[in-house]
Amino acid sequence: MADLTTSTCDIGELMSAYLDGELHPGELDHVVEHLGGCTDCILEFRRLKEARAAVRTLPRLEVPERLLPAFHFGPELSAYLDGELPTEGQTLVFGHLQTCDECRDELHELDAARTAIRSLPGLEPPLLVEVHRERHEPRRRVRRGRMVAVAAGVAAAAVVAVGVAASSTPETTVDLDSFTNQHVARASVEAGFTVIPAVGPAGLEP
Amino acid sequence: MADEPIPTWEDVARRYGRKIYNFAYRLTGNPDDAADLVQEVLLRVRKGLASYTPGSFDGWLWRITRNAFLDGVRRNQRRPTTALPDDDRVALVPSPSPDEVLASVRLSEDIQSALLKLPIEFRECVVLCDVVGLTYEEIATAIDSPVGTVRSRIHRGRKMLRELLTWPI
Repeated sequence: MADLTTSTCDIGELMSAYLDGELHPGELDHVVEHLGGCTDCILEFRRLKEARAAVRTLPRLEVPERLLPAFHFGPELSAYLDGELPTEGQTLVFGHLQTCDECRDELHELDAARTAIRSLPGLEPPLLVEVHRERHEPRRRVRRGRMVAVAAGVAAAAVVAVGVAASSTPETTVDLDSFTNQHVARASVEAGFTVIPAVGPAGLEP
Repeated sequence: MADEPIPTWEDVARRYGRKIYNFAYRLTGNPDDAADLVQEVLLRVRKGLASYTPGSFDGWLWRITRNAFLDGVRRNQRRPTTALPDDDRVALVPSPSPDEVLASVRLSEDIQSALLKLPIEFRECVVLCDVVGLTYEEIATAIDSPVGTVRSRIHRGRKMLRELLTWPI
């Protein structure tokens, strides 16, 4: 049995953590500095490294198939076909396809379906203008209704403002144009903003 | 740590089956015990997934694996005496010469044999670190101990291992 030098230094178990990149910054500095000048610790460090390498070189064993459930990749096959699985998933599915006839057949069917869909000719939409008009017509009515509501709100606010001005001190003046413009501007950029609840024409929501 | 989505039992078997088997094999030293352990772990995972609370799935899984191993040890109260089975020879990297194959098998046998001589607490930490590839923190979660304990056990385990490996590496 090899005689492993027992170091009297204080970095003992820090060396394995150093090998594994598991040291805290302060500890790292300490270990690196110490290893720079201690022959005993350098020797022990090498031995630890050899032990670690020995375990890591052990062959990775395949798990016996009988231990695993019979599974298939049905739901993931389309994503696999489109290259949309994470790398690990793509590798797993690829490996599985080498031995699973069922999944391979399903993949071929999916591929055929995808090819068929992709081979469909692109069509020009002849009714594009009509569709566009139909889609926008109701919206324009709504917007007119909203404009009415905004105008009503602005007018009401103006009346209130005039009332307030009249009842306050005589020095206070209100610039009605500025007041109105500010409200119209705000109403045009803030959805639903009105001074008072507006009542639009029947059937039209503000 | 952000919660991870809960995998299905089939996902666990598919993604972790090989790692669990390698962990089990390196701890027990024989394929039958390793196979039993994999089955036991997958069984516990299947039952446990119903009540699993999203969190560190790896920590949860390896704790189950480790507990299943310790339960098996307590139940059997026996140590494996056989070294490497045929499986290990099959898993060797392809296309080396016969001499290289023989040397590799001997090497694996020696390392496996040395691993089995480590106390269980050291062995499980070394295997979780160097075979499974967990971080110290993940190992701490799996064995339900502080990271400092993990650090100490890995170091002492490797130190003993190197003493047991008499040939130059």
